[in-house]
Amino acid sequence: MEAKVEARPVVNVQAPVVREEQGAMAAEQHELKMTARDVNLWYGEKQALFDVSLDIFDRQVTALIGPSGCGKSTFIRCLNRMNDVIEGCRIKGDIRLDGENIYAADIDPVQLRARVGMVFQKPNPFPKSIYENVAYGPRIHGLAHSKSELDDIVVKSLMRAGLYEEVKDRLSESGTGLSGGQQQRLCIARAISVNPEVLLMDEPCSALDPIATARIESLMEELKETFCIVIVTHSMQQAARVSQRTAFFHLGKLVEVGDTTTMFTNPSDTRTQDYITGRFG
Amino acid sequence: MSDVSTIDRRAALDWASPQAKKRIRRRYAADRRLQAYGIIAIGLAVGLLGILVTSLVATGAPAFLQTKVNLEIYVDPSKVDPKDPAKGNFRAIVRDALFAQVPAPETDKQKTEVTKILTSDAAYIVRDYVLAHPETIGQRITIPIAVSDPFDQLYKGVIPREVEALNWTQERTFDRLQNRGVVVTHDGKAYLKLDAYIDPAKVESGDFTGIAHESLRAYLPDVSGTEMFGMLADDAPDAIKGRVETDPGVVGKTIQVELPVSEPYQTLAKGETPMVLNQRFSPEQIEAFDALVAKGLVSSPFNWELFLNADSRFPERAGLAGAITGSFYALLVCFLLSFPIGISAAVYLEEFAPKNRLTDLIEVNINNLAAVPSVVFGLLGLAVFLGFFGLPRSAPLVGGMVLSLMTLPTIIIATRAALKAVPPSIREAALGIGASKHQVILHHVLPLAMPGILTGTIIGMAQALGETAPLLLIGMNAFIPSVESMGVLEPATALPTQIFSWADSPERGFVSRTSAAILVLLGFLVMMNMAAVALRHMFERKW
Repeated sequence: MEAKVEARPVVNVQAPVVREEQGAMAAEQHELKMTARDVNLWYGEKQALFDVSLDIFDRQVTALIGPSGCGKSTFIRCLNRMNDVIEGCRIKGDIRLDGENIYAADIDPVQLRARVGMVFQKPNPFPKSIYENVAYGPRIHGLAHSKSELDDIVVKSLMRAGLYEEVKDRLSESGTGLSGGQQQRLCIARAISVNPEVLLMDEPCSALDPIATARIESLMEELKETFCIVIVTHSMQQAARVSQRTAFFHLGKLVEVGDTTTMFTNPSDTRTQDYITGRFG
Repeated sequence: MSDVSTIDRRAALDWASPQAKKRIRRRYAADRRLQAYGIIAIGLAVGLLGILVTSLVATGAPAFLQTKVNLEIYVDPSKVDPKDPAKGNFRAIVRDALFAQVPAPETDKQKTEVTKILTSDAAYIVRDYVLAHPETIGQRITIPIAVSDPFDQLYKGVIPREVEALNWTQERTFDRLQNRGVVVTHDGKAYLKLDAYIDPAKVESGDFTGIAHESLRAYLPDVSGTEMFGMLADDAPDAIKGRVETDPGVVGKTIQVELPVSEPYQTLAKGETPMVLNQRFSPEQIEAFDALVAKGLVSSPFNWELFLNADSRFPERAGLAGAITGSFYALLVCFLLSFPIGISAAVYLEEFAPKNRLTDLIEVNINNLAAVPSVVFGLLGLAVFLGFFGLPRSAPLVGGMVLSLMTLPTIIIATRAALKAVPPSIREAALGIGASKHQVILHHVLPLAMPGILTGTIIGMAQALGETAPLLLIGMNAFIPSVESMGVLEPATALPTQIFSWADSPERGFVSRTSAAILVLLGFLVMMNMAAVALRHMFERKW
């Protein structure tokens, strides 16, 4: 899984359409947080990603959309090297976080995952207390030096995840006893407890009802003030509601990326248009 | 397209048709049949288990009681030196105490017989008591002393006081003679009316018994002598002798004689069943024992010695303490070895090992090891642990090591299954906030897998507890008369091997004790399985 740092090809036949004006505009307001260049990925013999190049900006939400099996989840998992644990997974290309190659030999994937947190499709709290769920990350990374500091982190994280008011009287109860939406917010609290720079969300609302979904979405609105957020979603409406930039994946390729409003109103690729208008997918 | 739809229409099912109703009935019947098979199978299993347990309880129950004599004993200072009580003549003290309670036996032989009512260990029981209570020297003490096995069985009603004197063949043979009119009765006494050839040669040598036997054999040519000659009373030859003496002319002729029949056949001729005192007891013993019972000195309290005593040659003194201690040590060693090794191996294979031919081979072999007969592990232990490493024979250490060879595959397989059952979402969650591999495993996966691991371990240990063959091979069936000297490196026995050696013993008392020991073993197994269930409930968490 040795990362290969390659110069970006000047001419790329399959190069995605990048809307320069919007990109430049985004770059003006938001600094570049992560960059992926020519990412190819194989599960055994099967290639899942083909030359994906994508810029992700800080303090905004980037949505990855596309039909099932298009590689958007695979790609988001490359951003914090979660694919490392999958057997037979090979990756080629260059992914940088703040200009630093995250697949470089001197990068510790465990530390990287503390910097690039992740929230999963199905709420997956540990079968421990609510407090322990949030305190676990800070504890293993040594972020708190005393019990009171740890308490502080836990309360703050729960507050930022909008869960504190609901659970403040039962922090010692099991996290698995919460409702689905609460569990997912607990997972978000757990992810932000270690102060990550990037928050990856892999279809965080697909297992939730509309009310819980709305809460998570408004939460993302708040969180994007602090974090760089990447979200994979199947719901075009959700992408339109929460994201500032949208990338459309199809068959393992990045088809088009750009400002969300433009993507949904005036896509330049016919495939994007077909998908957005519901003609396939 | 239209073709398909017309065909579909025509083939539409009529749910109310007789065929459809029949089909539904048959489906219901099939459902009920399947259910019935299950109920029959479970009923069979439960029934057989019930029979097993019932028979064990029925046979083993007497062993939980022990017949004892509350003997008043005078600890005679002339026989026990207060300065060195261990060397006292306790045998004589017990004898005197016993003879004080029963009709005095006359001959030495009778005295020995009567002493045999009490266990052969009686002197040691008194000695141990006096050693523990030295102040009783010179006083009268009353301590319960176990009776020897035949009297224990007699008092519990396991063996009868009297048995039938004649066996079935003997009774049938006599019946045949009766049916042929050979048996005649005068004055309440039965005789056999036989034609006897008075052989001159036998008269010459005075062998009138031979004449009597020959005449009887002529009537019963197909019966062996041992089954029929007992019919003739001891004075039967004298009857012939008397005839020959009163009338010497009969020599060389065949005459009719009436020969008296022996005692049991006299009873049989009256239509009653002849009984005789059980050969295990002498008349003096029975008389003495009856005297003890009549004085209310005999009782059968709960047999704590079954759990407190170690093994003994005398069933009335034999207990399971040694076997339980040995099994405990062996299982302790087995647990300490197989639990950490099994979990480490399973964690490595499940979480770290690359998938290649070598790990596949290891995996297949671990599964095969679980199916290897335990006696093979015993041989391995004999060859390697005893032969090569020179570890002590019969020791729980080696027993535990051999048993751990057996439990390891069970634990590894159970642990791997439990690790596999932990949902991947938990691993992802932990990895996702930057937990390293060992943190994921130690903090999250192993605790969640613990119920399964513990269940597997306890089931493995329960198997090990009941395992006999490997322990026999490494000699863990030593005769352990005292628990005090036991240790991990000392010779020991275990519960299953104790059952094995008791089942081999000829004494009647070991029959019930074998069943009782099996019940104790089953009790431990049930306790371990209940512990497994309790632990599973304790550690079980929802995710």
